[in-house]
Amino acid sequence: MADNQSNPKTRIKNITFKALKATIKGVLAYAIYFILWTFIAPVAQFLPGLQQMIETFVAVYITLMIIGEFTAGTVYQYFFSAAKTLFVIGYLILSLNGGMIGATFESISLLIDLRLFLVVAMILSLLGLAKSVIQAVNFMNERADSYAMLERA
Amino acid sequence: MNIPIRMIGIATTIFWVFLIIFSITAAYSVKDLQFGFGEPQMIMTPQNELLFTLPINIYNRGYYNIGRFNVTTEISDANGNQIIRGSSFTPVIRKDEKVTILHNVTLDFNDLLQFSQTYLFTDSELNIAETIGLSLAEVIPVQASGNFSIPWGAPLYNFRMDEPQYAAHNFTHLRVSVPISFENHAFFDVVGTIQVSMYNSSNQRVCSGQTSLNAPQHSPYSSYVELYIMMTSVTPSGRFEVNIQTPLFSYGPWVIPYG
Repeated sequence: MADNQSNPKTRIKNITFKALKATIKGVLAYAIYFILWTFIAPVAQFLPGLQQMIETFVAVYITLMIIGEFTAGTVYQYFFSAAKTLFVIGYLILSLNGGMIGATFESISLLIDLRLFLVVAMILSLLGLAKSVIQAVNFMNERADSYAMLERA
Repeated sequence: MNIPIRMIGIATTIFWVFLIIFSITAAYSVKDLQFGFGEPQMIMTPQNELLFTLPINIYNRGYYNIGRFNVTTEISDANGNQIIRGSSFTPVIRKDEKVTILHNVTLDFNDLLQFSQTYLFTDSELNIAETIGLSLAEVIPVQASGNFSIPWGAPLYNFRMDEPQYAAHNFTHLRVSVPISFENHAFFDVVGTIQVSMYNSSNQRVCSGQTSLNAPQHSPYSSYVELYIMMTSVTPSGRFEVNIQTPLFSYGPWVIPYG
């Protein structure tokens, strides 16, 4: 197995496969954002800065996703997955201003209470974080098992 | 270990998809929400209060019901003292439903006078705070509020009682004519009576009389009250006590010196 991985041809093949997978995932993620944006666009007219906020989020999320794909097969994949989840949590809290969004148009002020949405998103993100931690533990466990088996053999 | 991890992943993904689709469709529903305002009406209640009614037409063409729709109007004076507050509430507006909500605000004029009687005689401004709240898809509370001011026209603007004019009525009595004038700047008609009592310099009530008031909105009013007084009671100076009675408000006694 170790010989296979150290083979330069196999390594190039692996990297190419990872790059291809990362590219497809990135393009798909951007396509989903692009489709969803057509629905949000009418609302974004009333909330200046919303487009920039969402674009920044999508850009960072896709970057972390691509890095995660490149590090697939190592424990760092799960680190980046956890980082992605933590980024989602932090970004949602900061961008949604703790769930209370306010905007003022001339003499009319608008207040949107998104705390319920934020709580659900936080719970799902924490589930994702827990999943990444369990995956990392499982990965290390499986690797330790395979080393132990190799030593026994 | 792999199966539970996979199950967590699948469950999380499904819930994320639901949450994102729900958020987007809820936001998109705002676009299909139509608001319209009907002709405002103003009527007098049996309790002699002014009732403002504003019909609000809502057509919910979105994907979800709208919950807890409420409109609140607060009118306060320049110092921020709340004069009146009216609220209308509708628990649910179902999707594809067209509803008309009547937003009522009742103004008791006597309550207004409790804050300041200058509202009778001086034009001013009233502050109106309007708040509209609703729950998108019955779970996302949204509130819009605005402040603006409206001019208040005094119903007895520039009220004047000129010097009484004396004329002989018979051998014992004089006829006293007291000219009264004011401008009704209010948005309602002033209809009622004005009662005038005359006191001489000895603080003795010498006569009284009344006349009817009928001043349409935004128009001047001019009339006089006739009093009959014994010649022996007349003094060069004294005071009038004026009481104004209308279905909307009562004011008096108001002391106006003469002479």
